[in-house]
Amino acid sequence: MTVERIKPDDFTKTPAAPAPRPNFGSAMIPKERYTSADYLRLEWERMWTKVWLLGCRLHDIPEPGDYHVTTIGKEEILLVRQKDGGVAGFYNVCLHRGNRIMAGSGHAETFKCQYHFWEYGLNGDFVNIPDLESFPQGAPPCKGLRAVKVDTWNSFVWFSLNPEAEPLRDYLDPMPEHLDPYHFDRMVKVMDVTAEWDCNWKTSVDAFNEAYHVQGIHPELLYFIDDRDVQIDLYGRHNRYLVPFATISERVTETTEIPHLIKHVMKEAGMDPARFDGRVTEVRKALQAFKRANGAAMGLDYSDLNDDQLTDDYHYNIFPNLTLNTHADDLMLFRQRPHPTDPNKMFFDVMMFKLLKDGEEVPPKPRHEQFRHGERSLGLVIDQDAYNLPGVQAGMNSDSFPGLWIGDQELRIRHFHHVLESYVGE
Amino acid sequence: MDLDLRGMKAAVTGGTRGIGRAIAQLLAEEGCDIATFGRAPERVEAARVELSALGVRVHAEPVQGRDGAQVRQWMQASVAALGGMDLVIASLSAGGGTDEEGYWHRNFEIDLMSAVRAVDEALPALRQSRAPSVLVIATMAASETFVAPMAYNAIKASLITWSKQLSQKLAPEGIRVNCLSPGPTMFKGSNWEMIKVARSRIHDKVVRQQPLRRMATAEEIARAAVFLASPAASWCNGSHLLVDGGYSKRVAF
Repeated sequence: MTVERIKPDDFTKTPAAPAPRPNFGSAMIPKERYTSADYLRLEWERMWTKVWLLGCRLHDIPEPGDYHVTTIGKEEILLVRQKDGGVAGFYNVCLHRGNRIMAGSGHAETFKCQYHFWEYGLNGDFVNIPDLESFPQGAPPCKGLRAVKVDTWNSFVWFSLNPEAEPLRDYLDPMPEHLDPYHFDRMVKVMDVTAEWDCNWKTSVDAFNEAYHVQGIHPELLYFIDDRDVQIDLYGRHNRYLVPFATISERVTETTEIPHLIKHVMKEAGMDPARFDGRVTEVRKALQAFKRANGAAMGLDYSDLNDDQLTDDYHYNIFPNLTLNTHADDLMLFRQRPHPTDPNKMFFDVMMFKLLKDGEEVPPKPRHEQFRHGERSLGLVIDQDAYNLPGVQAGMNSDSFPGLWIGDQELRIRHFHHVLESYVGE
Repeated sequence: MDLDLRGMKAAVTGGTRGIGRAIAQLLAEEGCDIATFGRAPERVEAARVELSALGVRVHAEPVQGRDGAQVRQWMQASVAALGGMDLVIASLSAGGGTDEEGYWHRNFEIDLMSAVRAVDEALPALRQSRAPSVLVIATMAASETFVAPMAYNAIKASLITWSKQLSQKLAPEGIRVNCLSPGPTMFKGSNWEMIKVARSRIHDKVVRQQPLRRMATAEEIARAAVFLASPAASWCNGSHLLVDGGYSKRVAF
């Protein structure tokens, strides 16, 4: 059964129509991109240091002096709320002997290196160099910490190591048009963890860029999403797919009872599955109508979202390393960061955000935690996703494996590599 | 053994899928005209086409089983379309749920009241039959603690009680009433098929309790059901037959 999507004349702010689909051919994707230290180095020189990257959330640093240290490859970037309310970013490197200055996040009046107490202001300028007179050459000729480009969008702080980087909005285009209607600024962070995974960062990006794996590793989702009726859209650097939720896969047969995950989302929205007399395949549209009719009374503003967005997963990849599962009531954001030197390792950041109802008490901010793969659960579905990744990485390193054999359900992987090639080369 | 069903007219509630569909199939193969209903128009149509292909008359409509008036009208239309009624098999079920209040109302209307209403509307026609019978499909979960306390189990238990006492009342009129309780049953589109895929631990735990390490097929339930409903079971009245492959362990003295 084909899922009914919103029609061209229906209300939507987020573009919903299928985008033109360029032909990226069917060539094998070389496995060296995932396994070679040389490629990792080229990726750093030609891509990571050129693009815009997500650093933190504006809510992470609300007051002047609040800071957050984010890591990309070998670099740490100190993101700081300024006295004028703006945000600045600096390499987290003391100009004296190179020591790291700050760690994690917190509040500071000045940034003082804990080695010889060189001290910098919130704007990065030198505040104090102990015994400056003992340096015959004087202070370093720069004013202070080396700055990086910083900008903000939709409640997030972004930075670029590329002094020549185009404006953030141009880089993200057309993501703001797509994602502004979700109003991420109205959501609060409820989970903030980093898992160390034994795979390349792209092995992880790929894992979320196709729905083909659902039948392989997420059997329970066959009774919650339609993994076969997925709209794939490719835009410049970025891409997305639209996955119908609150329905069942074409791979399974409709049941009399409503599957438990569908019941769960009905109840979350305040709809009683026991009193729903329609069929399982009629729940999705009914749930959309219910949320449209009752959202405002429940203190949830869905007015900028189209009907499909009230149930479905609008799933974006913002190049290079962000995976956004956007839903009307929550955002699951995955940030994939490379290991500085080992192509077989990466850092998987999971940030979960929840839309608050009007007047709902803001839950305490989650403390960031980092652990190794398997030490803690990331929830059933992400655990299922993570399960295969070390095996995929190990297998890609085998001499017998030439490269990735990609099908049409995995078109976003092909598009991602097309963009990656435009930075790194073949 | 001749079940003596040829030319009889049988109404099966919820006969477009699962156990009900298998019963309708077997009855049609034995030569019964069939009346049935279900919720999904395309499954109603498929059942009509497939059963008609066996050379019997078929009356099938899409009906919402919670709607009492629709169920009653369906039985009236069925009697009119087939020119009488000999067998009523009350097979419709809303399936399980949780212990929340909404499910009590749901199973009350769909499992219990659809049976009561269908039998009530069919009685005048049954009284004209040469070998009338009513078969109520309950569940093993009515007499065996199973999965979790829920409306489905308890409402099905009320069907067992009702069918027994109805059998006493209708026996003098020559109308037999029996009840059959299937154990866990697997078929295409069954809730157990979904549970096997989506909550495999619950499924596996149930299968481990089965001495034969599998669930019933709908056809295995249907064979027992068709016998009980047929004139061949002429001395079965007020019986409650458990067809669970040995899932339940209690010795029922």
